[in-house]
Amino acid sequence: MHTDEYTIIKECADGNKEAYAVLVERYQDMIYNTAYRMLGDGEAARDMAQECFISAYNSLKYFKCDSKFSTWLYSIAINKCRDYLRCRRPHVQLDGISEIMACSGPTPDEELHNKQVQDRIQAALNALPESYREAVVLKHIEGLDYKEMEGILGVDAGALKVRTHRGREMLKRLLKEDSLDGRG
Amino acid sequence: MDGDRELLHKLLDGELPPEEAAALMERMNAEPLLREEFDLLGRAVSLLENSGRKAAPLSFTPEVMRALPEGTKESLPRTSRGRLPSRNDWKGFRDFFFRERMVRWNMAAALATVFLAVVILGGVLSYRKDMQSPYSNSSGSAVTARFKFYSPDAKRVSIAGDFNKWNIDEGTMKRRGKGTWTIEIPLTPGAYNYMFVVDGDVWVTDPEAEAYRDDGFGYKNSVVRVNSL
Repeated sequence: MHTDEYTIIKECADGNKEAYAVLVERYQDMIYNTAYRMLGDGEAARDMAQECFISAYNSLKYFKCDSKFSTWLYSIAINKCRDYLRCRRPHVQLDGISEIMACSGPTPDEELHNKQVQDRIQAALNALPESYREAVVLKHIEGLDYKEMEGILGVDAGALKVRTHRGREMLKRLLKEDSLDGRG
Repeated sequence: MDGDRELLHKLLDGELPPEEAAALMERMNAEPLLREEFDLLGRAVSLLENSGRKAAPLSFTPEVMRALPEGTKESLPRTSRGRLPSRNDWKGFRDFFFRERMVRWNMAAALATVFLAVVILGGVLSYRKDMQSPYSNSSGSAVTARFKFYSPDAKRVSIAGDFNKWNIDEGTMKRRGKGTWTIEIPLTPGAYNYMFVVDGDVWVTDPEAEAYRDDGFGYKNSVVRVNSL
């Protein structure tokens, strides 16, 4: 936690709206990325991430300063994403991934190739069950440990390890080298 | 194999005791299938971890700030018709004229602000030519833009931009309250790039800028637009 964070949060809770911009600027990439990885859609991620910060602002008086602000933000963002996914399209089936992953062939343009790899990683994430995706995104993209994930997801570390392991097993199959080379 | 898989995941998580990790690595050297399993898992994890964070859109913070509800300190007390203003009411009037504000230069806000600024400041400037700012020029009417930045830990904050040739010595901001830094700069209509400079060497993009522009060095400048009447 940044040393100035409690001061800023106190300022915001007292009605100084301007101070909140510092927190939004500080955590916007973290929350936007989490929402993007969970939803696989830039526009939806933007909406959910913004709703996350607005909800957090409205609830600042309930924030307990003995916990990390980032943990609290993560948990709000995850809940927003869960609500969004519950109301949205049905879950992408595993069968659908092959079409997404084989949609374009290899290219000499390195930048384009990297984008294709990124798209395929996201397509693979989209194919995971939500609970596995939450665990894998927080563990391997946001780089959190199981202890912090417990606080965010409200699930004990043992169960989170199982979800992460199963998510990794599925990703292992989905991200096999031949499909990333455009042959799969 | 399920037992082995669990061991492989524990190894990936760094949760195997050193002696068990060493034994597993030795087994992998002798068992190609086990090695392949581990390599595939490691590769999937590596792809995820190297995929990096997706950056939020440039206008993300200003959009959030615009969507926030007004805080209690921002609201003005109302005076009932036919009743003398109380001491609290006078505080309200005083707050109305002197409270801190951030100017956002969208078209509607800019027009309203420009109108007020010209009415109030135009007269003053016409009597006091010596108040002419070095940032304004004779090609159009200068209007006052107020910049605001919140940094409670800063010892000094300056603004540098197109309007002062990026000279931080010409844009020293004043600290107000518990950590809000402000400056007013008369500007002629146009778009100006700027950044805040904290303690002389930390360049910070205004989180509440109306727009942003790449500076060509991997950073983003804040942009303020001042419109003519």
